[in-house]
Parts: sequence; structure tokens; C-alpha cells
Amino acid sequence: MVDAVDRFPFEAMASRCEIRLAAPNARTAEGLAQAAIAEVRRIERSYSRYRADSIVSRINAAAGRHRVECDDETWQLLAYADHLYGASGGLFDITSGVLRRAWDFRKPRVPGPDELAPLLALVDWAAVRREDGAVFLPRAGMEIDFGGFGKEYAADRACALLQQRGVRHGYVNLGGDMRFIGPQPDGRPWSIGIQDPRKPDGIAASIAVSQGALTTSGDYERCFDLDGKRYCHVLNPRTGMPVSHWRSVSVLAPLAALGGSVSTIAMLKEADALAFLEASGLAYFVIDSAGNAHHHSISGDYAS
Amino acid sequence: MTISKQTPQELAASLLAAALLLPGVQAHADEPPRNGSISLRYLDYADRQPGLDRIHAHSPSVSVTAPVAGDWSVEGTLTADDVSGASPRYHTAISGASHMEDERKAGDFAVTRYFRRGTLTAGAAYSTEHDYVSRALSLNGTLSSEDNNTTWAFGLAGSRDSINPVNNVVVDEHKRTVSVLAGVTRVLTPNDIAQLTLTRTNGSGYYNDPYKLFDNRPRSRRENTVLLRWNHYVDATGGTTRLGYRYYSDSFRIRAHTLSGEYVQPLANGWTIAPELRLYTQSAAWFYYDPVYDATLGAPFPPGFSNGADPNRLSSPDQRLSGFGAVTVGLKVAREIGKLWTVDVKVEEYEQRGSWRLFHDGSPGLAPLRARVLQVGLTRRW
Repeated sequence: MVDAVDRFPFEAMASRCEIRLAAPNARTAEGLAQAAIAEVRRIERSYSRYRADSIVSRINAAAGRHRVECDDETWQLLAYADHLYGASGGLFDITSGVLRRAWDFRKPRVPGPDELAPLLALVDWAAVRREDGAVFLPRAGMEIDFGGFGKEYAADRACALLQQRGVRHGYVNLGGDMRFIGPQPDGRPWSIGIQDPRKPDGIAASIAVSQGALTTSGDYERCFDLDGKRYCHVLNPRTGMPVSHWRSVSVLAPLAALGGSVSTIAMLKEADALAFLEASGLAYFVIDSAGNAHHHSISGDYAS
Repeated sequence: MTISKQTPQELAASLLAAALLLPGVQAHADEPPRNGSISLRYLDYADRQPGLDRIHAHSPSVSVTAPVAGDWSVEGTLTADDVSGASPRYHTAISGASHMEDERKAGDFAVTRYFRRGTLTAGAAYSTEHDYVSRALSLNGTLSSEDNNTTWAFGLAGSRDSINPVNNVVVDEHKRTVSVLAGVTRVLTPNDIAQLTLTRTNGSGYYNDPYKLFDNRPRSRRENTVLLRWNHYVDATGGTTRLGYRYYSDSFRIRAHTLSGEYVQPLANGWTIAPELRLYTQSAAWFYYDPVYDATLGAPFPPGFSNGADPNRLSSPDQRLSGFGAVTVGLKVAREIGKLWTVDVKVEEYEQRGSWRLFHDGSPGLAPLRARVLQVGLTRRW
């Protein structure tokens, strides 16, 4: 029996999201999708910078004052962030969100060095202390956020929840970061387009995926153009300036949390991105600032 | 963490390993046990009829589950029952129960091999009392659909029992059975799982109770069982209801219905509480005779005995072959202590009455039978 595939669009984490899954009937599909959406919203609530009661807000509010006890899940996310900091040579830094205070991408204005310098002094993951299940940001004004892989982590959790409840066909798409539960009910892989970074309605490439995750980082989400130059929201934590080497980086990985962090690190690595992507062992598709594509074994499943 | 220089291979492996440490990002299917466990159980069983404390049994048991080499696991249980008490009255109308003492030792052992979409289990069991030895072999398998929503089960089992009663009514008698089982389990919704299992058993040999007079049963028995089960997860409470219905029929013409319900409620601090209720009713075997005796000879001779009825005709006064109904009420309380220990206590009360049968004719004159089971268990995982 081939089950119908139902679509459940929703808004979460300031993105357009969708769950597609195959279930024996519409009521079952609805129940499954609602459970997965509830899990995405739980993570959004727990780690939102905008909610005063979230663990992230409590950690940030205690910066320079006292340590904050963490639950197991938060502790693991911090451990993963620490690993990414090391693996990226310090470029992936979850304390770099403070730079947003200088950058407002709704207005085409480049902040001056005097604006960035005091913020850059607060970007310092290496100074963050984690011990005995508690975390402490040593300087007042320091902030952490899980924006670099929180959405991807939520996609992984939602997907695992659906798999545990018996779903075998479908995927979870959170704002373009996707984790696949399995192929279409007839066994064919899903055909997924990769957004053209310069044409909102265009597709730069199309790939077939049925397992794992496909994630993309680009310079086209929050950005502005000024004097012929693109300024995007991916900021180098040392200079405070947007990266400019790549228009977009897409990665196929076993987990969305892995793919999302590797694609972001590749954006931050700029000229060294291809070497880093090769070393990551993952399949990738990148478009450089001139619009040329580079890729490595991007067709088919990551597993094949 | 300090910034490190890694080779490409190290980087790829370390990134994946770090991402896999994130909690809950991967689903795990039916997997071989990663951890072993050892359980100690102590069961105390006592039953009674009005004016008679019948059997009191204590049985400690040890069971072990251990993962072996990835896709394999082995399980085994050793039980020693120590039984003392009066043997069952063959008719409750008769007084003067004889005393019996017995010791039963039993062991079973099973090996399971896990495959991507199924399992295969081979098992063996052995039990011995001083007059009865039972050996059994079984082979069971499961196969799951690609979407894992449907699981089929199949099984084949055989047993061979040797019977050497102390009264030498018979010597070196045997009973053999062969069973086949087929079943299907289906995930209906995220909260509901249903299961249907059909079992057929063909047996031949000595079915009599050697300690009962005029117990002469057919030498073959064919038994059919249909079992329907439905587990439902209740979102509002986080508990699970387990409902079951079983229909049994055999060539002795016993027809039985069992309706069972259990509700498992997890509570704070590792506690679980599970009340259960089981309703049972059966009709009498066609050769069962009620506690009505021959008009001339009296007890324990069955009616018609003095008029030259064939003394070898099929007949049995065994209360278990009469028509009756029974109710079991139970409560199990378990507590997880840390991640490694579980303690559980279970109390069950059972009452059986001829007048409680819901279908067919029964034996309303038989005295009720009550039993109490108390079980205490301790499990340690590693």
C-alpha cells in the first residue's frame, strides 16, 4: 500500500517551515505532524533569545555576575558549540551574536570600527567557563545564542520523533534546512532544489535526497547591498564584518545539526572553505561570489 | 576548548562524533539489548477453598539477559518451586484431602539473533518434578515491514513430557505437543498498537490426572487460541491502557473467553503503578461429570457405574474441566532507583466460582477457589 504524502506548513524560528510525511490516513498524519511541530516549538521556546524565561536569556542576563545551572540538553548543546569552535579554528563562536547590535540589515549602513571594537571585546567563547553543570559568561554584556545550529538541531529532533513513531517517508524542512525521514512512499528520492542566491524564485541546482540532511547557508537571507557590495548576516567574529567569499554553501550530512554547522563554518572560512569542506568528508555544493558553482559528490544520498 | 590542528580524517570523524552526542537527534529501531540485566524474583502463591488451605508455593527465580557480540542476545531463567500442601480435592464434596509435597525445578534458555527487519529466537525449556519431566523446544521469528508499522510473527514449538506417577497407575507414559503460531502487530496511530495472534496446538498421549479416580481423558487434544490485544497511550495522563481478549476452544469442547485490562501509570520519582482486572469464563469438557455420584455406590463413582456402564468410558471429575468463571484483581507497583535498579511488588487475588460462568453449563455446586499471588522482584541492569 502506498500512503499519500501530506504537507503541514507552519511558521517557527522566524522561518517558513514544512513537514511532509506519509501516514495511513489524514488523522494519523495530522497527529504525527502536530507532535513534531510541538517539538520544534519546544526548542524554539527553550533557546529563544527573545524570551526572558529561556535558559539562553537567563545565561545572558547573568553575564559578568554569576553562573547558571544548565539542564542536560543545554549542556550537550554547549559541548557541541565548544567542539565547533575548536574544529573551525575559532571562527564558529556562539558568543558572536552581540555583533548584531551594530548591524541592522534593514538599513544599508556599515558600522564603523569604533562601534565594532567594544562589541568584539565581548566575542570570546574561549573565556566562557563551564564546570559542574553550570555556565558562566565572564564579562557583563556577553551573550550566547544557538542560532548557528538550533534550527538544524530542531529538525533532527522532529525527524527522530517521527521515525520513532513509525514514519518512514517524508522530511522536516525548517526554513530551508532539511532532515529526511526517508524516501517517497514509492521508494524514489525527493528532488530538492537549491535556492539561487541571486534570484528569489530561481533554483541553482537540484539534487535527489532520501536520507540524512541538506542544509544551506547563504549571503541572501538577511543582507543589504551598498556601493555594489553585498553585506550579509554571516559575520566574522574577529573583524565583525560580513563574509563575502561565497554566495551559498549547501552540505549533505547524516544529521542536520552537523550539516548546518559545517555549511556555516565554510561560509566563515572564506578562501579556505573548499579545503575545510573536503576535510569534513561531506558532500557539498557551493556558489562563489562570481556565481560559479563548485561541488563534490553532491548527487544522490550522502550514504551512497 | 583550544583551537586544534586536525588532519582531514580526524576532523570529519570528530565533527560527526560531536553531532551524534546531541540528545535525541537519532531514532533507534528495534535493536538488540545494549545492556544486560539480572533479575531476582520471589513468588509466593497460596490457594484455598472454604475450610481448606490447599497449596502454598514459594518460588525464587533468577533470570539473566545478556547481549552477545552485537546482533545476538541470550536469556535464561532458573526457577525452583517448593510446593507443599493438600492435593486438589477432586470433588469439593469430598473431604479428606491427602497431603502432597513436591519440588519443581525449571530452567529455560533462549538465543535471539537480530536482523535489520526481524528477529529469530531459538529456545529450550526443561522442568522436572519427581513424577513429571517436561522438555520443550521452540523457534520464533518476527519480520517487520519496510515502514516498521507492521510486524508479523511466526512460531513453531514442540514439547515432550514423561509421566511416572508415584502410584504406578501408569508407568513411563508420554505426552507430545506441536504448536504453530502466527500473528500480526500493527501500529494504528502514534498512540495505538493492535495485535492479533492465532495459535494451534495438536497434542497426543497421556492427558489424565493419575492421582484421580475415574479420570480417563481422550488421548489427543487439539487446541485453538485467538488473542486480540490493543495498547493505547493516553496523552492526557501519560499512561497506557492494555486491553486484551482471548478466545480458546479445544477438542474436549471447552470454550473459554478471557477479557483483560491493565492500566500503567508512570508517576513522579520513578514510580509506576499498574492496576489490572481479568475476567474469565469457560464451558465444561464434554466428558466432565458434576459432583453427582452413582445412586447405588455413592462417591466417588460416577453416575451409572453400578448399572454396568463401561468403566473405561471417557470421564473426568477435574474441577479445571468444569464450567466456571473467574475474576483476577491485581496491582503492581514498581520503582526505578537510579538508572540501574528497579524494584517491583505485585499482588493478585484470584477467585473462581462455578456460578460465575457466563456461557454454557457450569458446575454451580463446586466450592469456590481463591488464590493469592505475591511477587517481589529486583532487577539490576549493567
